[in-house]
Parts: sequence; structure tokens; C-alpha cells
Amino acid sequence: MSTVTPDSLKTNFLPTWCPGCGDFGIWMALRDALANLRIGSDDGLIVYGIGCHGNMHDWVNMYAIRALHGRTLPVAQGAKLVNHKLPVVIISGDGDCLGEGGNHFIHAAKRNPDLTVFIHNNEVYGLTTGQASPTAQAGFKTKSTPEGAVDEPVNPLTLAIASGATFVARGFAGDMQGLSALMKTAIEHKGFSVVDILQPCVTFDKVHTYQWYRQRVYKLETIPENKIKALEKAMEWGDRIPLGVFYKENKPTSEDRESALADKPLVDLPLTIENLEGLLNEFY
Amino acid sequence: MMDSVTWKIGGEAGFGIMASGTMLCRTFSRAGYHVMATNDYPSLIRGGHNFITVRIATEEFASMNRDVHILVALNYESVEKHKEELMDGSLVIFDPKDGEWKEGDFQKKVKLLPVPFREIVGKFTADPVMRNTVALGVTVALLGAPFERLSSVITDQFKKKGEEVVKQNLTIAKAGYDFPSEKSFVLGPSKKKERLLVINGSEAVGVGAVRAGLKFAAIYPMTPINALITFLADHAKNLKLVYKQPEDEIAGINMAVGASIAGVRSMVATSGGGFALMVEGLSFAGVVEAPLVIDMGMRVGPATGMPTYTEQGELQFVIHAGHGEFPRIILAPSDIGEAYSLTVDAFNLADRYQVPVFVLTDKYLNESQWSLPQSALSGSVEIDRGKLFSSDSKNSNGEFKRYSLDVSDGISPRSFPGMKKGLYHADSYEHDEVGHVTEDTSMRTKMSLKRLKKLEAMKKDMKAPKIVGDSEAEITFVSWGSSKGPILEAMKLLAAKGKKTRLIHFSWLFPFPAEEATKLLSPVTRLIDVEQNATGQLASLIREHTGILIKEKILKFDGRPFYPEEIVEKL
Ligand SMILES: Cc1ncc(C[n+]2csc(CCOP(=O)(O)OP(=O)(O)O)c2C)c(N)n1
Ligand code: SF4
Ligand SMILES: [Mg+2]
Repeated sequence: MSTVTPDSLKTNFLPTWCPGCGDFGIWMALRDALANLRIGSDDGLIVYGIGCHGNMHDWVNMYAIRALHGRTLPVAQGAKLVNHKLPVVIISGDGDCLGEGGNHFIHAAKRNPDLTVFIHNNEVYGLTTGQASPTAQAGFKTKSTPEGAVDEPVNPLTLAIASGATFVARGFAGDMQGLSALMKTAIEHKGFSVVDILQPCVTFDKVHTYQWYRQRVYKLETIPENKIKALEKAMEWGDRIPLGVFYKENKPTSEDRESALADKPLVDLPLTIENLEGLLNEFY
Repeated sequence: MMDSVTWKIGGEAGFGIMASGTMLCRTFSRAGYHVMATNDYPSLIRGGHNFITVRIATEEFASMNRDVHILVALNYESVEKHKEELMDGSLVIFDPKDGEWKEGDFQKKVKLLPVPFREIVGKFTADPVMRNTVALGVTVALLGAPFERLSSVITDQFKKKGEEVVKQNLTIAKAGYDFPSEKSFVLGPSKKKERLLVINGSEAVGVGAVRAGLKFAAIYPMTPINALITFLADHAKNLKLVYKQPEDEIAGINMAVGASIAGVRSMVATSGGGFALMVEGLSFAGVVEAPLVIDMGMRVGPATGMPTYTEQGELQFVIHAGHGEFPRIILAPSDIGEAYSLTVDAFNLADRYQVPVFVLTDKYLNESQWSLPQSALSGSVEIDRGKLFSSDSKNSNGEFKRYSLDVSDGISPRSFPGMKKGLYHADSYEHDEVGHVTEDTSMRTKMSLKRLKKLEAMKKDMKAPKIVGDSEAEITFVSWGSSKGPILEAMKLLAAKGKKTRLIHFSWLFPFPAEEATKLLSPVTRLIDVEQNATGQLASLIREHTGILIKEKILKFDGRPFYPEEIVEKL
């Protein structure tokens, strides 16, 4: 068996992200985490959204679906229900996951599929050249908010916890090692895992720089013991920004609750009907 | 003795009107009669005016007719609203508590049979809702059938609810059965040949899907495809498939595409409004070349329209839906048998060509019930999963070329995630042979042509329009989908008047069979296009692909299916 390394999970294409983009750190951490979990190129599926984050599609050597903008979660849920033995990971953006795909996010969390979603949170729409994203802090000036964003931001963590996600964490693209470890734990968790990743956009966000984050982030020592405490921690933002696991719970997954999947993945089942007579009798 | 009887029962929603139609159908289909039931109900749960019409005949027939022999009114409106459909000799059954109608209140020479429904039900201290069971008893007696036929159907229907419920329904049905003193509409003997089932269009689509090996469906509820949801959800466990209720139709189609890419046969079903939300996902299936079956149940639009009424208004919509250019197949079942068989075909075509395939149904087909020989649903089914991965299609880097350009028919083999050495990328961007993004002029042109080449390849599978009737005909009807039934019945009426007619009918609509259509249509002197929409969408399609202009049209778009009599009158 060939060994899986971060390099073996790389394609021959060179990333086209802006030099210094936080997406590089996430890309390295993801391959590192997958290699540590021994998930090789043929062994897993990554579903990507549309945005700068989704461009990672061409630089990771693993089965991939690059979905439509905002639709990663439904596509991933469909694939996972068909082959629940297959590790499925999602690379999404704050716009992709919480704007265009916001409804899918709430419902995925409520169903608890065994999926892991990494949200590249850069407070902007990078690929469309820097408009405000749903996570943009009030007052944040972007191309679409020249006077500063007027709305309050969506908090991916509180939304995930309130909607029923069973693993909710925050990482930082500027801390490759810490992020890789967090991504590994998230993928290992059986259930819907959400990791909000603080990702500096060096081109369209001159406020939330690596420096800005480094001055503020700190690591949670322990996982808050219940949802209320998790929500409290998740609301902390400003001078101090917590990183780490905010909430974790073991619950049956969507796949656990489908009786058709009890023996084998759907993709391995025969296509013929055993008791056709019995089925048709219903119409007699 | 009668060879065909049409029966109508009307009342408020929530009065078990629909269930009584089904039970009457089964009572006679089990004895070998051909039956059909159509329903008509407003979009609400309680109140309003609901009715169901059942036709029972000794010979096979293709659609409902307009003239009603027996009208059962469970409320005042049911008499007033349907007066006009009665003929000389029709029988009106009503509760005298709802109105004191006299024979003179009707234009036609009808007979009246007052039945004290409420009193009968009250005598057995039963729920007033059970008036429909009394009506069933009365009807079966009038048609001259033994009570045992009805009682076995009632027993099967209520078994799940316990013995008490069965007993009470039987008692009440018997009281109804014993009520009429004469049997005025006795049906001739049936020509029973084989076991007949009673099934609606959505269920027939469902049986087709599971026989074709459907494993995944994501369907957001919407009239008229809700019976398909019930069927799939009820059988998910024993047939080992997953039915998922998505948060919206956008999620539905994207889940189904994910499931398809992961390796199983998957489908969605919806109506116009839900499909409007799926349009972007359709284009996604198109570019990643994922097989997908879409049961598109048409109803009255635009927008929310008339949700529980029928129309054939989405033919041009499904042909043109989706941004960008990519191939698709559109099949429109013309009857209950095709609702099943074309669904099976749809799954094979989807896998063979790796494209979205539409089964274009409508409210009339989906929610009406028909008798159908069991053998029509139980024959052997051939499953063709199309070209699948083998390890020899590689590019110079040794990667699997999922979207290989090296294929004359445009169809390249596909792998499923998790297969060793089958790695590829399913990219919603334009992509190269492995699935990596490209904006290269030459690759883009080639990839686009690769996908569109399939249109040419598909032609060999597309079936020519069906021809029914006389080659010497003075009139040739042209139609598609479920309009076929009423036209066939209209042709019978015309034949009885000595008029020779013919029908050229399209179930395989896209890619449009232009050559056959030209051959068939160009020599005809009098063509009449018959469709359930306001603009003649098939006629436009024919004009587009053959140049033939059909000037005469019979179009109906009031939400109600054609009656054969109407078609005759419009000539
Ligand atoms: C339906 C649709 N609407 C709009 C777009 C244009 N679009 C592409 S990426 C994007 C936003 C990306 O923002 P985000 O998800 O935060 O990703 P980032 O680029 O910041 O990584 C938009 C609006 C699209 N591709 N599809
Ligand atoms: S625009 Fe921002 S998010 Fe996009 S690649 Fe450049 S730095 Fe990264
Ligand atoms: Mg973003």
C-alpha cells in the first residue's frame, strides 16, 4: 500500500491564490490532516463550493465534486447517503455556506449527517472581488459597503450550535499545525462537524490581517460542558477571539437513521426487487 | 344491461370522497371490469367542493366521459354544480335533508333517489363522515353486483384500523346496499382475462422507478406528485432505498445529483414551481454529465396557479430550462402503462447517455386511477447502467479520463468515488478530460461538442410517434402526453357517426423525432393539434423542427382534463 502524504494529495497544478492568502494555510492543513488519517486520493470525496476557497478543487488530488455556488451541503449529503463508508469533507466559503447556502446549512445541522464542513471565513466575497460576506462585521468597509457594513454579521458558530451541529469549532489559517489537528478531530467526529476558519484575505481585507488575528486569538482549554456555555463562548469576539472546540455531542447521524443502510452502502446493493408480487398486491 | 356506467360523488373535502372512489374502482376491477377514477378538488383540506368521477365498463376504454349516469350528492352543492352533466335517465341520489329537489328542477328527464344518509349513519351511531360508505353500498346494489365484492374491498381497506372499524363499515355499507328497491344500472358481465390492479400515475411512476433500481430520491412535497412520495417513503425500508425530504427543491436536485455521482440511480419529482427552483441544478447535472431522472408533474401555472388542477404547460419550459447548452431527454407518458414503462426507460437512458431525463407527467395522469393488468408492471426489466469505469482510459499523467474526448458518441465511462484508480473531479466549471477547470478555447469547444454529440447518438433510441386510426382519415389529430386518452375516446364517438379520424401521438418528445414527424405530417391535409395549454406548445415544436404549420388547434387550459365529447363538439 502506498503511503499517504500531504504531497501525494497534491496535484501538479500551482495554486492561483494571491500570495499570502489564508487559503494556503488551510490547503496545507487539510492535506496534513487527511494524510494523518490515512485517507488517500481514492479513499475520500471532497465537495467544494464556488469562491476563492473552491479553487482548491484543482490542487488537491482526491475524488472531488465542485458544486454550484452555495450547494455543497446537499450534494455532499446525497453522496454520503449513497456511500456512507466514504469520508466526505466539504470546503466552503462564508458566502457559499452562509449566504447562498444558508438554508442548507441549518437543515444539514439539524439532520446531523456524518460530514465535515470547513468554512473559509474571510468576511468577504473574494472571487467576486471583495464585496461584504454574511460574516462581515458591522462597520466593515468593502466594495459593496463603502460606508461600512450596516447589518450585524452572522455568527457561524452560534448558528451551527443552535441548529444542531454536533461538533462546532473555530480554527485560524495562520496556525497550520493547530488547524491540522483541529481538522483531523473534526473529520474523526461522527456527525455534522463545522469548523469556522478565520482566513485573512490579503487583497480585499486590510483590517483583519494575520497580525490583527494573532493579537487576539487564544485557545480554549476545555470544551464548554453544555450548549448554553458553548453559545456564550461562541459569542466572544473583539479583543479576545477564542479558537478550538466549542461544542461536541454524540448523536445518531442521518445515515444511522436510514434503515436501508443497515447492512451495506446503497451503492453496493442489488437493483432487483425481491418480492414484486407483494409490492403489487397493494394495488389489487 | 349497461356496458359503461359513469358515477360521480360530490361533497365537502374531508368526507372520504377520494377513498370511496378508490373502493368502488377496486370492487369492480377485482371482478374484471375496466375502471377509471378522476378527482377534482380545490387546494384546501376541509370544506370546499370535492368530487370524484368513476367510470366502470365491460370493455377497455381510454378516458373519462362527460355524461354522468349516477350522481351521488353528499351536500347541496353537489346537486347544483353537476346538474348540467346529467342525461335523460340519469339518477340523482341525495339526502332529503340537503334539499327537496323535484324531477322538474332538472333540464333533463332524471330520476331521483332520496336516501336518508344521515339517518342511516345515525342509526348505527356512526360518524357522519361515513355517509360515503352508505353511498358505496347503494351504488354497488344499483350496478347489480353482489355485496361480497364490496365487503372484501372494505375489509382490506380498513384492516389496519382494527376489527371494530371494519365491522362498522360493513354494517353501514350493507344498510346502503339493501336500500334501493330496484337495480337500475346493472352492468353486463365482465370479460375477465387477467388480474387487474388499480393504480394512479404517480404510483405507476414509483413502481417503474423501483423496478429500474432506484436507490435515492429527494422530493419536496408538491401537488401533483405527493403520491409518489408516499409510495417511496412507505417502501424505503423493505426495498432498501433512501427517500429524503429536502429543505427545498434546490437541495432536492443537488442531493440527487450527489447521489448519482456517488453511483446509484436517483431521481427528483416536482411540479412547475419546484422545477423552476431546480433549473440551476439541472445545468449542474448537465455539465458534470450525471444521470438523473426528473418526474415533472405539470399543473396549472403561472406561479402558484391552480395547484390541484391539470395542464400541459411546461413542455417548452423543460426543453429550454437550464443555463448553457447541454443535452437532455424528454418523455411524456400518454397513459398509465407508459407512466410505468417510460419511467423504466428514463433510468436506462439517463445512465446510457449520462444526461437528465424528464418524465413529463401532469395532475390528470398522476392523480387519476386506472385499472391495469398486473402483467403490465411485472414483466422482466432490463437494466442498462451504461459505460462504467475500467482502468484503461488514462491520460499521459496516468490519470483516469472521466470526460475522455476519445469517444465518437460523446459518452465517456464514469467511475464512482471510492473506486481504486478511478479518481476524477466532477467540476461545475468547464473542465478538461480529468475534470480540472479549463478556460482554454480549444478544450472548451471540444468539451461542449462532446456533450452535444450525445444528441445525435440518442436519436437511435428515440421512438417515433404512435399512429392510431384510419389511414384514409379526413382528420388527423396531433397530440402529446395524457391528452391521448380523451382523443381516442373522441375518435370512437366520431367513428360511430361515420367520421374517419387518425391520431399521431408523441410520447418521445425530445430530442424531437424530426424525420419521422416530417414523413408522417407533411402529406396530411387536415391536421388538428390538441393540447392542454393556451399556446400550442407541441405545435410550436413541430413548426420549429419540421417547418410544418398546424393551423387548427383545440386547446384547453381551464385546469380540467379534456372530455371526449368536447373534442367532438369543437370540430
Ligand atoms: C448562483 C451564483 N450567484 C453568484 C455567483 C458569483 N459568485 C462566485 S463566488 C461568489 C462569492 C464567493 O464568496 P465566498 O463563498 O465567501 O468565497 P471566497 O471567494 O471568499 O472564498 C459569488 C457571489 C455564482 N457563481 N453563482
Ligand atoms: S482575493 Fe482574498 S481570498 Fe481570494 S485568493 Fe486573494 S487573498 Fe485569497
Ligand atoms: Mg468569503
